[in-house]
Amino acid sequence: MVNYGGDEVSALVLDFGTSSLRAGYAGDDTPKAIIPTSFGFIEEPAEANGGDVTMGEAGATEGEQPQASKPKVKLYIGQNGPSLWRSGMQIGNPMQDSLIQNFDAIPPLISHALSEVMRCNASEHPVLVTEAAWNSPANRERMAEIMFEEFQVPAFYIANTGVLNAFAAGKGSALVIDVGHSTASVIPVVDGFVLRKGLMHCALPQLVHAHAKHLLTSPTPTRQGIQLIPHQLIASRTPVDAGVPPRFTLREDRRAGTTDSWRAWAENREVEEWIQSIGGVLPQGWNDSAATSQGSRHYEFPTGYNNYFTGVERYAVGEQYFAHSAQLMASNPNLPKTIPSLVTSSIGQCDLDLRQVLLGNVVLTGGGSLFAGFADRLANDMGRAFQHVKIHAPGNPTERRYGGWLGGSILASLGTFHQLWISKEEWQEHGRAIVGQRCK
Amino acid sequence: MSSGVGVNPECLSAYQELKLGKKSKYIIFTLSKDNTEIVVEKTGPTSATYDDFVGDLPENEPRWAVYDFDYEKEDGGKRTKITFFSWSPDDAKIKQKMLFASSKDALRRSLVGIAAEIQGTDYSEVAHESVFEKVSRGA
Repeated sequence: MVNYGGDEVSALVLDFGTSSLRAGYAGDDTPKAIIPTSFGFIEEPAEANGGDVTMGEAGATEGEQPQASKPKVKLYIGQNGPSLWRSGMQIGNPMQDSLIQNFDAIPPLISHALSEVMRCNASEHPVLVTEAAWNSPANRERMAEIMFEEFQVPAFYIANTGVLNAFAAGKGSALVIDVGHSTASVIPVVDGFVLRKGLMHCALPQLVHAHAKHLLTSPTPTRQGIQLIPHQLIASRTPVDAGVPPRFTLREDRRAGTTDSWRAWAENREVEEWIQSIGGVLPQGWNDSAATSQGSRHYEFPTGYNNYFTGVERYAVGEQYFAHSAQLMASNPNLPKTIPSLVTSSIGQCDLDLRQVLLGNVVLTGGGSLFAGFADRLANDMGRAFQHVKIHAPGNPTERRYGGWLGGSILASLGTFHQLWISKEEWQEHGRAIVGQRCK
Repeated sequence: MSSGVGVNPECLSAYQELKLGKKSKYIIFTLSKDNTEIVVEKTGPTSATYDDFVGDLPENEPRWAVYDFDYEKEDGGKRTKITFFSWSPDDAKIKQKMLFASSKDALRRSLVGIAAEIQGTDYSEVAHESVFEKVSRGA
């Protein structure tokens, strides 16, 4: 038996999400570094690549600079990455469907979080990385390869966010409902293992986002469509009364250098902020008069345009998580499933014996679930569909947003977890196959 | 996935005494102080009642327990079911909860002959009626 000395292992925990990358020391209760996963890049004019993004093999990344740049592309990462306007800068995101699709950008992102923000050297710490429950074996092996070969980590482990969230809530078996930035998923976990057949996920948050954007930009009888112009492109503005067309001047000097992808990214941020500031979910299901009675709230956009948004507008956005209008369903047959139907189909795939255990231990997590009223609505909807439902939703927003990271942080800090790490020697001896064997 | 915590042989012998020797009514397991292995915290005498057992589950710390649940069927037949409890109150420290959740499998696998399993986060979930309902189902 391995001899381990207490809980001091100073491991690092990395949690990749579509909107942010969380990194920190195991044993802490919040991640030290939270950087956007989206990054900016400028293609050097020397070689045009037909619009296709080639990041090049970001070879040696031990270097201190955040932009592990090949001659072709310069990357801008971190808090001052995508959000600073730069001429000709485009925006990329390596994630798709909560999985890493573009591995070229991963080493620079990790190296920025670890060496720039946390100022630590990855080669001195074991690293635990999280993965989505539907991650592919090839994908996790690639991650192991990056960590061992490029960051020279002494030990590595990859753990599933569903299981980590369940553990962090103190449950070995649970139905984890994770609502993230781009994906909503329902993950049945039984005794620390994911039941693959009951695993459901879909791009529901993206639909919510698109819905909100449509709501804002299309004109209504009482107002014009709202121009979503980020503050980076506005030179000056004068205060106007609520509902009056805004008076502002654009930064003409920046017009030519703004790329479409940056513009789209910035507009999405505007929408996101609007949703987060004033969006909500009605706890008792959709009802026009209840929505109206919630009252309106004031919100101001960077252009100076400001208005009071009615309860109907504010709550229609969150409603998309739970129910789609008949009109929307008719116009789009491939609509992502709502949360209740994800839960129903997930439970339907599980053994009868397990259903009661899972329903009695529902864990709600993910930043998207922090919508006002979300947990109450979920409890109501599930209570109507099933018996004996008990929802565990951490009241602390940090615990909910970084549930996966937190679970990883605790797991990696355990002295006894030592024996499960894949060490560098084992990696060198067995190669990729060991990842699938060890990390179940 | 598990935390790699080990099970002290003492747990098995206490369990055998409960299962075969019927020398105790319940056993409460916890983690050793340095969080490296699972040990027996307490065993309840055969005279103990269910309320004694529930009273031994701390309000804000997780535990595991085995209770020798007996009841009478409607037709008068006596049944005993050894029931395994994962006790994890919502107010417990998150690290404790995580440790207990991830170590449960090690203990659970080493105990042979468990008839039912209960996962409890508050006292209503381990109340006699709700456990009875679960244990007696399919019996």
